[in-house]
Amino acid sequence: MTSSRVGRGRHAHGALVEGGTTDRDALGMGIVRSARLKPPPRIPSWVLKVVMAVTGVVFALFVLVHMIGNLKVFTGAEHFNEYAHWLRTVLQPFLPYEGLLWILRIALMVALVAHVWSAALIWRRGRASRGRHRRPGMWVKNFTARTMVVTGIVLLGFVVFHVLDLTTGTAGVAVDTFQPATPSTAHAYENLVSSLQRPWVALAYMVSMLALFLHLAHGLWTVVSDVGFTGVRLRTVAWWVAGVVALAVMLGNILIPIAVLMGVVA
Amino acid sequence: MKLVMDVWRQAAPGEAGHYETHEVDDATPEMSLLELLDRLNFALVENDREPVAFESDCREGICGACGITVDGIPHGPQQNTPSCHQRLASFHDGQRIRLEPLRSAAYPVIRDLVVDRSALDRIIVAGGHVAVPGGSAPDADALLVSHERAEQALDMAACIGCGACVAACPNGAAHLFVGSKLAHLSLLPTGRQERGKRARAMLNEMEQDFGPCSLYGECAKVCPANIPLTAIAAVNKEGLRSFFRHKDD
Amino acid sequence: MRGRWRGPSSHVDGVTVGGVLDPHAPDAPYDSAWHRRKLDYRLVNPANRRRFKVIVVGTGLAGAGAAAALGELGYQVESFTFHDAPRRAHSVAAQGGINAAREDTADNDSLQRFVTDTVKGGDFRGREVDAFRLAEESMRVVDHLNAIGAPFAREYGGTLATRSFGGVQVSRTFYARGQTGQQLQVASAQALQRQVHAGTVTLRVRHEMLDLIMDGDRVGGVVMRNLISGDITAHTAHAVVLATGGYGNIFFHSTLAKNSNASAIWRAAQHGAHFASPSFIQFHPTALPISSQWQSKTILMSESLRNDGRVWVPTRPGDQRPANDIPETERDYYLERKYPAFGNLTPRDVASRAATEQIRSGHGVGPLCNGVYLDFRDAIARLGRHTIAERYGNLFHMYTNATGEDPYEVPMRIAPGAHFTMGGLWSDYDLMTSLPGLFVGGECGWGYHGANRLGANSLLSACVDGWFTLPHTVANYLAPHLGTEPLADDSPQVRAALSRTRARADALLAIGGTHGPGHFHRLLGAILYEGCGVIRSRETLEHAIGRIRELRAEFWRDLRVVGTGLHLNQELELAGRVADYLELAELMCVDALDREESCGAHFRAEHQRDGEATRDDKRWAFASAWQVGTDGGFIRHHEPLHFDTVPLTTRDYR
Repeated sequence: MTSSRVGRGRHAHGALVEGGTTDRDALGMGIVRSARLKPPPRIPSWVLKVVMAVTGVVFALFVLVHMIGNLKVFTGAEHFNEYAHWLRTVLQPFLPYEGLLWILRIALMVALVAHVWSAALIWRRGRASRGRHRRPGMWVKNFTARTMVVTGIVLLGFVVFHVLDLTTGTAGVAVDTFQPATPSTAHAYENLVSSLQRPWVALAYMVSMLALFLHLAHGLWTVVSDVGFTGVRLRTVAWWVAGVVALAVMLGNILIPIAVLMGVVA
Repeated sequence: MKLVMDVWRQAAPGEAGHYETHEVDDATPEMSLLELLDRLNFALVENDREPVAFESDCREGICGACGITVDGIPHGPQQNTPSCHQRLASFHDGQRIRLEPLRSAAYPVIRDLVVDRSALDRIIVAGGHVAVPGGSAPDADALLVSHERAEQALDMAACIGCGACVAACPNGAAHLFVGSKLAHLSLLPTGRQERGKRARAMLNEMEQDFGPCSLYGECAKVCPANIPLTAIAAVNKEGLRSFFRHKDD
Repeated sequence: MRGRWRGPSSHVDGVTVGGVLDPHAPDAPYDSAWHRRKLDYRLVNPANRRRFKVIVVGTGLAGAGAAAALGELGYQVESFTFHDAPRRAHSVAAQGGINAAREDTADNDSLQRFVTDTVKGGDFRGREVDAFRLAEESMRVVDHLNAIGAPFAREYGGTLATRSFGGVQVSRTFYARGQTGQQLQVASAQALQRQVHAGTVTLRVRHEMLDLIMDGDRVGGVVMRNLISGDITAHTAHAVVLATGGYGNIFFHSTLAKNSNASAIWRAAQHGAHFASPSFIQFHPTALPISSQWQSKTILMSESLRNDGRVWVPTRPGDQRPANDIPETERDYYLERKYPAFGNLTPRDVASRAATEQIRSGHGVGPLCNGVYLDFRDAIARLGRHTIAERYGNLFHMYTNATGEDPYEVPMRIAPGAHFTMGGLWSDYDLMTSLPGLFVGGECGWGYHGANRLGANSLLSACVDGWFTLPHTVANYLAPHLGTEPLADDSPQVRAALSRTRARADALLAIGGTHGPGHFHRLLGAILYEGCGVIRSRETLEHAIGRIRELRAEFWRDLRVVGTGLHLNQELELAGRVADYLELAELMCVDALDREESCGAHFRAEHQRDGEATRDDKRWAFASAWQVGTDGGFIRHHEPLHFDTVPLTTRDYR
């Protein structure tokens, strides 16, 4: 401080406290507090956002391809099981049996951990920065943004369930008739159909797909900002692409339990 | 028209606040939100009661001093309009409204509806400027700036620094404010020269008081200067650019 | 010869005729004076600069510029603003643009034309040699502000775009949409904050200046009140720069920001600084009339509206019919009628006066009969709604917002509103007031604009003062004081200033009356609009002086300031400002009453011929610089005005 300040004494008893202590130096500058709310984080939030964007795009591509693959269910059991088998044997002999699948699984797992971990940090930082008074009265339009945490948790639960149900066939989750894939054949069609014949599973599946739609629609749109695209036209296109992809994935996937329940696929 | 107001009263920073209910009977639809408070304060003073402290200055929507949260929405119900231009026509006769300060952990309340937004200025101090000393500037006509670019820069430079974007954000993020400044300066020939350095400095400062952006879009809805959401992308754009180039320009 | 000249005697009670002031202008032809003076200025060695401390009060264009420039040069600068951020100063609200004699267009503009326009626009009551400095530095100002981040409007080829502005025939106004002031202000505030970052400037926000600290006859510092805590603190320095803006807010309803005030300069005047031409106040013709009791200000609508809008009133006084029901034959397009050459584009003072005459003679329109119409009907018919929307869409939107009326359908209502104060603390050519060590910059000074300011010259004068004049002149003043220290904190002068300030605050708090300061401010504004407004006369002014004195007495008897001085207390802030207004208001009226002529914005009803102002260059070709007497009276000092390159002429817009 370069100034010569005198005469503080008179008002030194002023009740100026923030968090119980009086920041006299800050006050001398005409502000309440000079200390920052928090130290600079080791990983800046914008990096977390980029991580979420990149991993999110990986998931989006995955669910899109997955959905297209799922639609093969309408081409019949044989074709569908062949596809499941092909996924395990593709690129042999360069890769071992289930090689690509495991590469994908590991990549997705890493992405999932990074995505969820980033999300948790961002959520925590957001709450801390907002402070005690929450923001009420938001417009309807950002419903998807506001529900990202909820839809994310639903999706996380769904992923766990989905793996237990149709990949590992864990008892209690999967149907009793679950047959694991072998190096010679896959039973994906039978497993899928019998699982979705349980109405509560079909319903949970459909709800999860709705959550996926909401999550993807906002997530994909957010990507353009997170990776720093400022062009107006590009952003408009991205907004539409996000919506269309999310909608396509949801509709494509929801068709299956509906078809199963209606007996179209059996 | 009659309006019933629940007004946030807080004597000093760090003290507990509470809502106090007041009525104004002779409001008129063309009055502004701030004139409503003027009216209320006049009555309070006449009755020897403490008037409600609130900030305002130009009352033309350009200085950025005012900012009152009305029923949870910073500045008030009319989108993209500062508090000084919010007209009572938005409310109906007899309506009950809640008035509170701009809310964010980064904005400590000074008194009643007045908050300390100096955290925003700290970001500007950190890097929101151009290092051209007085007298050394080149001819402005020699530094060509295309019409398009100048207009884009103006779109971003329109920010009035009211800080409502932060208060609108459920995450308490200042991306609209910071992004508009980064974009504004990086669009101009002199401002570009320290683009990387500026981005690092401003983002580092921003992270210490403000939250991350989740693209709620609330900021752009309340922004009196109509700063577009692209400003938010500019934050990450400049962040990525400075990170990968690792240079000061 | 100057020594023997004496000002005319005054017929105003309490006015004493004082001496002749020396502007310390360079002894050189006006057009080379600034160049010459810069060569003569003393310099301070870069290594010694940090041994000087300079206080800058205000962070508008002038204050931020001066503080940033001085900080950059290496002086220890302490900068103050009563706002929460430097960017909020009222420079931010200027819409139109900034003039510069860059000769960017082939319309035969030149430095000399700039000076001629400024001097003539000011009706020959400004200092011509200062106008030359304004013109010369205007080129650098645009370059500099462009370089520090102000995005000026550009042609498609990439060069600066210009537009023309009221009162001139060339296109020399540089702009950034309708937010030129904001862009320049934000760029300057950023530059100031760059110096805060560099550590050369200590910026204290939410500090309001309440007094000066005198060190003998020199100024040695300022007393500040911390608006958050109520702390009253002393800050000493080698020199003090006031850049605290104009005092138009004295009218209560004005185009100024609600917190703009005269306290800093009035405190200086109390210490003996001369106050130049306090009655020279510009009334903006396109402000919004007051339409309701609680309206807090007269919002300014850009002057550019007069390019396409036609101003009229009903021919029949008291005609209350809706505007669109009044037939063409019963409309009086009085500006077009009286000033066929300039029509609706007559300069601000002429347009304001004509409107006031119409309103006073009962032709005013609107619920309170206090406005005139600005009609776009014909322009919309001629150019189409689309074109009008393109040109004025944002202004129309603002108008609708403010009044609830749609200017596409019904004419706007406008009225003159107090806007810019050409008067201010008297300073010499080096911007130093009559108190050594006290400098002024921007609107709180005087000099460039005479009795009427040209549009887009205010941003310029603030920038020229702050960035390119004060850094030289302050250095020149400081140089011989090398090795001296500012007053010590516990020196008797500092203690005296502190106790004086506290006593004043305590006095305001102790009255314990029944009305808040806003009540008195409102009343004062009404008195001034009536008595010292667009049209003044001996009768209105004498009446106003009497009422101001009564109101002042009532203020000190019946003021109520709720709360204490130990917290953010906006009532106490306002009380101090209104107390100062009540004193300055009297001087304004005295100045207006004393000056027996009409010039620029100062229009005395007694001094007109065929409705046009008559200037009296024989007796009044000088600037009145008032000293506040110890007995409640005022001493009028004189700075005779000499015009070298611009021949004295009578303005005629007919």
